[in-house]
Amino acid sequence: MKKTKLDPITLEIQWKRLVSMVDEASAAFVRTSFSVLVREANDFAVVLTDSQGRSIAQSVLSIPSFIGTLPATVKHFLDKFPAKTLKPGDLMITNDPWMGTGHIHDVNVAMPIFHKGKIIAFAAVVSHMPDIGGRIRNAGIRDIYEEGLQIPRLKLIEAGRPVQAVLEMIGQNVRVPEQTLGDIWAQVAACKMLEERLQPLLHDTDLDALGAEIRRRSEAAMRKAIRTVPDGVYHAQTQHDGFEEPILINCTVTVKGERLSIDYTGSSQQVPRAVNVVPIYTFAYSAFAVKALLCPDVPNNEGSFMPISTSAPLGSIFNPRYPAASGGRGMIGHMMVPAIMMALADVLPERAIAEGSSNSSITVTGEHRGRPYAAVNFMNAGQGATVHRDGFTMLSFPSNLSNTPIEVLEQMAPVRVIERAIRRGSGGLGRYRGGDGLHFEVEVVADTPMMASMIMTRFRTAPQGIFGGEPGRVGALRLNGKTIDPAEHWVLKKGDRVVMETAGGGGYGKPV
Amino acid sequence: MNKKSIKTNTYKVRLAVDIGGTFTDGLAVLTPGGRIWVAKTLTTPRDPGEAVTTVMVDLLRQISAVRTDALPEVTEVVHGTTLVTNTLIERKGAKTGLVVTKGTRDVLSIGREIRYELYDLNLEIPKPLVPVELRLEVDERVDVEGHVVTPLSAAELARLTGEVGRLGVEAVAVCLLHAYVNDVHEKQIAAAIKKRFPGLAVSVSSGIAREIREYERMSTTAANAYVQPQVADYLDRLDSRVHKLAPSAPLRIMVSSGGFTSGKAAAETPILLLESGPAGGVLSALNTARNAGIDQILAFDMGGTTAKACVAVGGEPLIAHSFECARVSRFARGSGLPILMPSIDLIEIGAGGGSIAHVNDLGLLNVGPESAGADPGPACYGQGGTGATVTDADLVLGYLNADNFLGGEMKLRKDLALAALQKLATRLKLTPTEVAWGICNIVNENMASAARIHIAEKGHDPREFAMVATGGAGPVHVVEVARKLQIPRVLATIAAGAGSCLGLLAAPARVDRAWSSPTLVKDIDWGLVAKVYAGLRADAEDELKSAGAGAVRLQWWMGVEMRYAGQGHNVSVNLSWRTIDPGMAAALLKEFERCYKQLYGHLVPNAAPQAVTWRLTGRSVVKNHKFVWGDTRVSARPVMRGKREIWLPLKRRYAPVPVYDRYSLKPGTRINGPVILEERESTLVVPVAADVRVLPDYTVSITIKEF
Repeated sequence: MKKTKLDPITLEIQWKRLVSMVDEASAAFVRTSFSVLVREANDFAVVLTDSQGRSIAQSVLSIPSFIGTLPATVKHFLDKFPAKTLKPGDLMITNDPWMGTGHIHDVNVAMPIFHKGKIIAFAAVVSHMPDIGGRIRNAGIRDIYEEGLQIPRLKLIEAGRPVQAVLEMIGQNVRVPEQTLGDIWAQVAACKMLEERLQPLLHDTDLDALGAEIRRRSEAAMRKAIRTVPDGVYHAQTQHDGFEEPILINCTVTVKGERLSIDYTGSSQQVPRAVNVVPIYTFAYSAFAVKALLCPDVPNNEGSFMPISTSAPLGSIFNPRYPAASGGRGMIGHMMVPAIMMALADVLPERAIAEGSSNSSITVTGEHRGRPYAAVNFMNAGQGATVHRDGFTMLSFPSNLSNTPIEVLEQMAPVRVIERAIRRGSGGLGRYRGGDGLHFEVEVVADTPMMASMIMTRFRTAPQGIFGGEPGRVGALRLNGKTIDPAEHWVLKKGDRVVMETAGGGGYGKPV
Repeated sequence: MNKKSIKTNTYKVRLAVDIGGTFTDGLAVLTPGGRIWVAKTLTTPRDPGEAVTTVMVDLLRQISAVRTDALPEVTEVVHGTTLVTNTLIERKGAKTGLVVTKGTRDVLSIGREIRYELYDLNLEIPKPLVPVELRLEVDERVDVEGHVVTPLSAAELARLTGEVGRLGVEAVAVCLLHAYVNDVHEKQIAAAIKKRFPGLAVSVSSGIAREIREYERMSTTAANAYVQPQVADYLDRLDSRVHKLAPSAPLRIMVSSGGFTSGKAAAETPILLLESGPAGGVLSALNTARNAGIDQILAFDMGGTTAKACVAVGGEPLIAHSFECARVSRFARGSGLPILMPSIDLIEIGAGGGSIAHVNDLGLLNVGPESAGADPGPACYGQGGTGATVTDADLVLGYLNADNFLGGEMKLRKDLALAALQKLATRLKLTPTEVAWGICNIVNENMASAARIHIAEKGHDPREFAMVATGGAGPVHVVEVARKLQIPRVLATIAAGAGSCLGLLAAPARVDRAWSSPTLVKDIDWGLVAKVYAGLRADAEDELKSAGAGAVRLQWWMGVEMRYAGQGHNVSVNLSWRTIDPGMAAALLKEFERCYKQLYGHLVPNAAPQAVTWRLTGRSVVKNHKFVWGDTRVSARPVMRGKREIWLPLKRRYAPVPVYDRYSLKPGTRINGPVILEERESTLVVPVAADVRVLPDYTVSITIKEF
């Protein structure tokens, strides 16, 4: 039976079983997590890699920021802790943006899995922490030191023994130590569960061969999809509101046979703000755009993305030098997706989408009736129209973050929501109209001053339409009726009213 | 009936009727004795009650033919229906208005703002049941603690009722912010609307789903209002139909949580009926298991397009307190309308007899979720279907008998099945047999995977369970799915083809109530909790009485959804009814920690436990119902129908195995697997070594010996 060992049926069954184990572990992880982002927005990933850190299976629910990141993180761990020095019961941890996922709020852990005395796989988990210390996440932060605790590549558990020094150090540096450490322990539990589930399968599953075959087939599928795009060099430029001046996103997509490369030369230089995008994130969201456009069903593994490459000059916004701050990386990073889609619009008119806007948010902290509180609400915006339909109204894209229910928000923080409404008419006109944005108004009812941090997207630069479609309306931020700067932290008092409006999406085609 | 032969004696009969998408099934049970009869007819969508009458008449005729000595007295009729589900899926409900707090008119359109499929750029978003022009804002506000911040003025109330009149709607839903803590304004509004428009159906969120999260509560309340006029009308007409055939039998309605309620309660909260059919299937599996002395089961139902699975622990099915209905992308979580209602916690996946196999982008064989449905159906039906389906694979593997499908009514075409398989085989460079086994194996793996994740989410290990198979395709696949989950014990219920009717007859009367009030355990106002529970219980008792449960002993539970403050997922803690006072805090914490540890293996240090939602469940005592197959073909010794070549997965080859007519095997019979047991609507396939026994109620028990 050797011949049929990895026929298309055996492979499907063995691989599905591994994916189901990863999903089983991720289900257990989500349940126990304290992080709102994990629970409500699937801001996490669980991955099983082979002994060299190449991905075999990734949790199905993971958001695009994690495309390809954990396998890369495992390889970074292996550079510091060579395989032959690792022992059963070791577990490594880091939140280095360049080695992890692009910002320190995501903590990555990886655990070697042994079989007959040898490492045969790694279980790895990354998730957005409830808190990582530092200033509250905000675009105005100027370097990584302000952002919070940095965890270099360390062992959190050594041969089964938790390293107390590391745990205490983390606990001391975050606002809600029981929650942040609780989430890290949940990550550990997920790794262990994955190991336990994997062990019984190892007698009839050759992980290396299975992983190699899945990657080979994924790569072939992506190559085939890229072949359908005519060869050529395609440009698009868009811009982010920026701070003192707008931030340019200049993207050049080169398609040559079965390869697709995206270069960001011509984009702005890195900025002393928390919106820099490290290369691993530049790649993740570029790959997302290509996958969603060309080949949505290929799995998230290195094979699928082997034919895709990204590049940007060192020191630019898409390849910043340390100690660049990157907490709000998504603000710029999410804009790569519409940029790539706009670049390919002329050659893929059937699949083209006009620009939309990614999410904005408000985070509030403080003390009310003698108790500390912290809450965040995400606000999504209008999306672009396509040749088939109007743009979506207030839908999260390209990330996937849900709003917080009004009743839950008011439970978590001393605020009263005055209005959560569709901002009608904010979508750009066109043969198909852009989706509308949000109008959100909230009143402070706290008995002591409230710290508020707003992340606003597209409040100066409108999402553009395509093929003659008009742009959507820009977003807005007002405190007691006056426009304010989202790059600042704001101290709010009882009775203050904040209005946040998100942008509308661009239209498709000339209005009729 | 011949009036001359005056029969003075009567015997008692209970009836169950379940309306499904295609068929309406009926089942009658004689009490005492438990002998059952089944009936089946095509569903009559224009007037579903018609099929109910047909089935009831058929059942009474069948019984009367056997019991010529006396007259049947129908003591109750238990009813399950897909009417509510279909009304929501087909969007055929009433023109409905919605009254909401000022500033929240768009909440129903906005939803939660997320995509249920990350990489699909053209996904379909479900449309709200109430369009924006039929939503009215009212100037009022209650804060998170239940204090009235903006009172509802008489003038505003008058303006609102006027507006309601202008909408020209048939039903109204009212859902105000924080009404789960303080329903004063909702009540005022409902009363004012009812007073002004007595004929209008009004659904109030604090009465339907008294739980935190305004979008989900609004969606639930709107759905209830949307289906209410139709369901109330249907139940009314059904009641008179039933009354004609069974004058003394109360009509009882199955609800999603696995109990029945009165027709009156069902007419008020029709959204309770959403999952009544599947709930009946699970109760049927549970009753079968209880009779076999088993209380940890994985109920497994596989039909033409989907497979469903449900976990029951300690003889109780797990209950979910929210679920989705009318999904626009059929199996995608998040593509439906959220409903906050207790429901038997089922998973549903696109794996059924009609699921079509295809080769995906990676060149791998995949099965489903696309289904050939009933028309054209699998290739072997010979109705023009060309895709290879699970049924085609089952036929080629010898698991199905081409001449005994639906008791021989439908001849299956093996040549067409092979032709469909050959196309895939050519593409995959494999033989048709390898592809057939691949399809079967993959669909089994898909079902096992889904069950594995579902069980993990509940914090259990599959090996603790026995599997109970129902549905047409359930018995065909159950043994292989059990093997994948390392489950050694499998049961196959009788009358798997009679849908969920056995479950309807095994169901207790049941009422659920809820109240959200997120509070740290140390801050709970126990006086308030006691007061609320007293109110909930009085209300629940009334409903149970109206459902006919007054005479029997009632059981009460208190459920508390708990978590550590800051977490988003709740742990359900169940306590039997007790005095509610500050002394209860210790018991609550102890039980919370026990449940938390069982689910997660550890507690969270320095975290503060919080009670979020309080629940009350009241029901009549669950009895073991012994049902006896009414067929009398049983012979003294097992009579083999013959032998058939089937695919043996462990030996990886075909071999002849014995085939029996299932109901010719009398209780106590023992046979060794591999073996095939045929019945009219299904086939039990045991393709490995196993100990197969027929239990006293004709349930077949299988103990798998090879893994």
